[in-house]
Amino acid sequence: MATITAIAPQTNADVQEAVCANPQLVVRGGGTKSALLAADTDAATLDMRQLTGMIEYAPGEFVFTARAGTTLQEVAATLAEHGQYLPFDPPLVEQGATLGGTIAAGLSGSGRHRYGGLRDFLIGVRFVDGQGRLVRGGGKVVKNAAGFDLPKLMVGSIGRLGVIVEASFKVFPQPPAFATLRAPQPSLDAALTTMARLNGSTFDIEALDLLIEEGGSVLYIRQGGLATTLGARQESLRAWLGGGEALPEADEAAFWAGSRSIGWVPAGWALVKTPVTLTAIPVLEQVLAAGGAQRRYIGGGALAWIAWPGDLTQLDAYLTQLQLSGLVLRGAATWPFVGTRSGASLAARVKRVLDPDNRFPIL
Amino acid sequence: MNLDGLLDELASRFPAARLLQKPAQLAPYESDALTAFRSRPAAVLLAATQDDVIQAVRLCHHHSVPFVARGSGTSLSGGSLPVENGLVIALNKLDRIVRLDPAQRIAVVEPGVINLDVSRAAAPYGLYYAPDPSSQLICTIGGNVAFNSGGAHCLKYGMTANHVLGVKAVLPDGEVVQLGGESLENVGPDLTGFFVGSEGLFGVALEITLRLLPKPQLYRTVLAAYDSLEAAGDAVAMVVASGLLPGAMEIMDALAIEAAEAAVHAGYPRDAAALLIVELEGERIQVEAEFAHLLQVIEGSNPKTVTVAKDDADRARIWKGRKSAFSAVGRLSPDYLVQDGVVPRSRLGEALATIERLSRKHDLRVANVFHAGDGNLHPLILFNGRVAGELERAEELAGEIIQMCIDLGGSITGEHGVGMEKRQHMNTMFTATDLEVMAELRRALDPAEISNRGKMFPAGEAPALRSHGPHPLERQGVISRE
Amino acid sequence: MLHTIPVETLGAQGEAMAKAVESCVHCGFCLATCPTYRVLGEEMDSPRGRIFLMKEVLEGAMATADALPYIDRCLGCMACVTACPSGVEYGHLLTPFRARAEQARSRAPLNRTVRTLVKETLPYPDRFRLAVQSGRVGRWMRAMLPGEIGAMLDLLPEILPAAPPLPELYPAQGTRRARVALLAGCVQQVLAPQINWATLRVLARNGVETVIPRGQGCCGSLSLHIGEAAQARDLARRNLAAFPADVDAIITNAAGCGSGMHEYPLLFAGEAEAAQAELFSKRVRDISVFLDELGIVAPPPLAQPFTAAYHDACHLSHAQRVTAPPRRLLSQIPNLRLVEIPEAELCCGSAGTYNLEQPELARAIGERKARNIVSTGAEAVITGNIGCMNQIRTHLELLNRPLPLWHTVEVLDWAYLGKRLGD
Repeated sequence: MATITAIAPQTNADVQEAVCANPQLVVRGGGTKSALLAADTDAATLDMRQLTGMIEYAPGEFVFTARAGTTLQEVAATLAEHGQYLPFDPPLVEQGATLGGTIAAGLSGSGRHRYGGLRDFLIGVRFVDGQGRLVRGGGKVVKNAAGFDLPKLMVGSIGRLGVIVEASFKVFPQPPAFATLRAPQPSLDAALTTMARLNGSTFDIEALDLLIEEGGSVLYIRQGGLATTLGARQESLRAWLGGGEALPEADEAAFWAGSRSIGWVPAGWALVKTPVTLTAIPVLEQVLAAGGAQRRYIGGGALAWIAWPGDLTQLDAYLTQLQLSGLVLRGAATWPFVGTRSGASLAARVKRVLDPDNRFPIL
Repeated sequence: MNLDGLLDELASRFPAARLLQKPAQLAPYESDALTAFRSRPAAVLLAATQDDVIQAVRLCHHHSVPFVARGSGTSLSGGSLPVENGLVIALNKLDRIVRLDPAQRIAVVEPGVINLDVSRAAAPYGLYYAPDPSSQLICTIGGNVAFNSGGAHCLKYGMTANHVLGVKAVLPDGEVVQLGGESLENVGPDLTGFFVGSEGLFGVALEITLRLLPKPQLYRTVLAAYDSLEAAGDAVAMVVASGLLPGAMEIMDALAIEAAEAAVHAGYPRDAAALLIVELEGERIQVEAEFAHLLQVIEGSNPKTVTVAKDDADRARIWKGRKSAFSAVGRLSPDYLVQDGVVPRSRLGEALATIERLSRKHDLRVANVFHAGDGNLHPLILFNGRVAGELERAEELAGEIIQMCIDLGGSITGEHGVGMEKRQHMNTMFTATDLEVMAELRRALDPAEISNRGKMFPAGEAPALRSHGPHPLERQGVISRE
Repeated sequence: MLHTIPVETLGAQGEAMAKAVESCVHCGFCLATCPTYRVLGEEMDSPRGRIFLMKEVLEGAMATADALPYIDRCLGCMACVTACPSGVEYGHLLTPFRARAEQARSRAPLNRTVRTLVKETLPYPDRFRLAVQSGRVGRWMRAMLPGEIGAMLDLLPEILPAAPPLPELYPAQGTRRARVALLAGCVQQVLAPQINWATLRVLARNGVETVIPRGQGCCGSLSLHIGEAAQARDLARRNLAAFPADVDAIITNAAGCGSGMHEYPLLFAGEAEAAQAELFSKRVRDISVFLDELGIVAPPPLAQPFTAAYHDACHLSHAQRVTAPPRRLLSQIPNLRLVEIPEAELCCGSAGTYNLEQPELARAIGERKARNIVSTGAEAVITGNIGCMNQIRTHLELLNRPLPLWHTVEVLDWAYLGKRLGD
């Protein structure tokens, strides 16, 4: 459904104006999470890509502040110049994802396994709410306990509580070198058991993904750190696993880049993010296999990326039955949530405060 | 407000042994660790079950009586200060660890569980609970959740919010909600994260799902002594610039060192102007390599002495001194105020110099302990309340330090929360709009403002300070009794 | 903490009391280690809460009677002192406060009877022996007697051991390395006279000559800790006179006595004997501390390996800060394995005469200790205080795990004599 108005704000004031002037508003960034742009009304689109640019960056502070429309690509490049990176490894960097959109969708990638997800690194946020108010939450320092944690509220709010205009993040030094082991597992059970053991072990693991490939369950385990000790560490890990082959350097970089770009999703399929736990995976697997889905489990079994063929109604039913929730990132969906949702009543109360007139789509 | 109605109903449901109403029973609950404030509640309910808490909250809502939840009463910002004639709901008996799942690495606990007890329960599985406030041997998870408590080791692993996966809570109007779950990931607005750090204004947490981490294979800890605080601060900058990510970095100044030594005999070098503790943790091979690198960096920072912890006992001693520092300062001075400000790390040297200048200006000693890794300062303003005017001077000094933190682009509180103590400074840190939105959110959950009333938000009335004459902030024109 | 205590009106101990209140910063670290807080879970029954209540009373803001129930429930175990980072000398507040409170309060008749029995019997071995013997007769009436008396009866032993009188001098074996005086104690002489004999033998074996001064008596700790300051001073005066000055140390083998005697300076503050009390107290040593400092002759190994749990008497570990010396001594006995008891910092519930005054709480605390001991799998319990031995024995028996209770010095004695432990 084509939208009528497209607005491209360049300042925070522009955003405020746009909110006040339009009874219905949908926010977009890089458009990489297309399902979140859907609106079945005559909503105006707020295109945030011109509200872009780093505002402050102090490598010595491990902190940066940037406008919401800044691409992840730009952020990553700037950080890399100083040997730093976004520890939560957000996806869709190459595809043009923006900082604001990533926060709104609450997306973290495989690298979340080491230190945590996006929510653990967002320290400050400024947003325009449904009444056009410019609100700040958090701050620009990594340690801050003043006021309510509005930044956390914005994470996963998919543009329905406010328009994020600015964000401050904590960053870390980037590991100088990486190495990855590819460890095929005899069965799903074996894979999950190994993951659990690895999660409870003292190995420092950057990423731990479970792929369901043609041949079965395969674990991809990434280690990072000083180049001088990486070889020995990987050997130690391989011995502990009782197997696994080291990916050659170029392949290893490519693999994780592929993970980041989620390119493995077949064209036209829906893409759904589902939080999981190791105990939930076996039952989910049965359902997904039966539905012909393709899927990956990242973060040591914390998150499932589900590529679903066809209509989402069936997946919705399955997830609800399994008491799992999902966020539709790509695919035909007028409502972006599938499965169960916890805290809906609290979310509704918050929505009534931040967007009483429902200028943004309902939550 | 119908206090009698509430008390009658509570008395009909709870035995006198659990509904405290006698003066001698109420008096000890009048303060938490911020003794500058005292307030007598009408009653204290010693809740034994989650249901007790839900009942109590619903009754308070029904009778419009304010309530304050309390764990061990160790808040340094007056977070568990009772509301005069309100109810205190004591949670310390809700001390069950409901479930500990080592394979999933989670622990589901009731709010009265002591922080350190979570790690103790997880230890047999090689796991621990990372957030480690200095009061962890007695502070409760419920309190940690309310204030998003930090600790020395949160540089690398974050604060309480980063370790809470789910919260079951009773909102101030009695609705019980389940936020989050057991997964590390979430869909929809992060309501769990929103609840953490809400300082008791959003109701009472009944069950908290915590994330456990594997105990690091190896800790390597180094203690370096310096001739000046500035030198120690520079050393920190050098460590950061080297690309290392320590588990913890702490600085103590001479006064704090003196106090800690008197308390626990940690074996700190006695004639240092400043001590820096840096700790690395992780996989043995990596940590040993990084530690060698770290020692080089430290040696290059011109220390007076460098001590490396040889074993667990050494390491424990080093940390014991640091963790006792606040309370130990009680040996140096009859009274003191603990501050909790944050400045960007690059401005640490400047901040310390300013504090020194302000300390001379007000003629009061200030001991400094801080989380150098994240710029979180804890100036301890020493004074003698029995000397006329010293409390007022201490409060003025405290206010100026907080203002300095804001001016340098930091925060008024790194981890102790706003509570009672720093309400008035919220105006300088946030705009009126910010506070308006926060107030509306608060009222969406608590229309009658009965849950921890009077905390966090700037109030029209002066706080119940036990001092004489106008409050320093009144004299500065920031607040007024009108 | 800020306070408005009128120090000048409180007599010689006023300064010490006020100082304790001042140094408390209300941090709550003490709650973690207080047995009554662990059991009851309420602020009034924690050191922090009690300090606050005592402050209120001393400031005149609260009636003593209102605060007393919670002060009474305090064990006086001093675990809080060990835990306190701020250096609050809680004992310097509690003991004088109890003494003041005792003057003012009116006690229920039954309670007074019990206290009188305690005051007038326990410190005097002959009277106590008689009381025990007649007490045994009364045991069959136990069911009909009220709680506190019943508690007393429950603690009496089945058989009173034989008690040959102690000599005036016990010579050293071989070269004399030191000369000490022994406080023979009171209750211990009746219930476990073998401990004194073991003490004499072990000292002798290590080249120490021991005098046992005639004219000595109870050290007064029991009275001191229940608020009977006047009686405590009377008893203490006797010892101040009886003990010679020309000894290297005044030895005690009961933690309660050692702790009480170290409090003599505060007890006699402002009195004529102040200086003498100071000197006396400085020479008091627990037997384990003395032997540890002296360096003992290596004991021969036990015939069989043996595992024992060492229990820290609170008046030794917290009140006198003695934890390592007994462990060091015992670990010099080959074939003896010492295990630590979980929650070792918690009192057993004996705490002087606490188990008589607060039987229910003492029972809860005693049971906790007994369970912790049983969990170690130890074959016996070793400790340095007669009160603990009695209390723990009772509660182990209640759990049907009647492990033997021995004094540190008894174990050393058996080792030296090449006997089996418990012989």
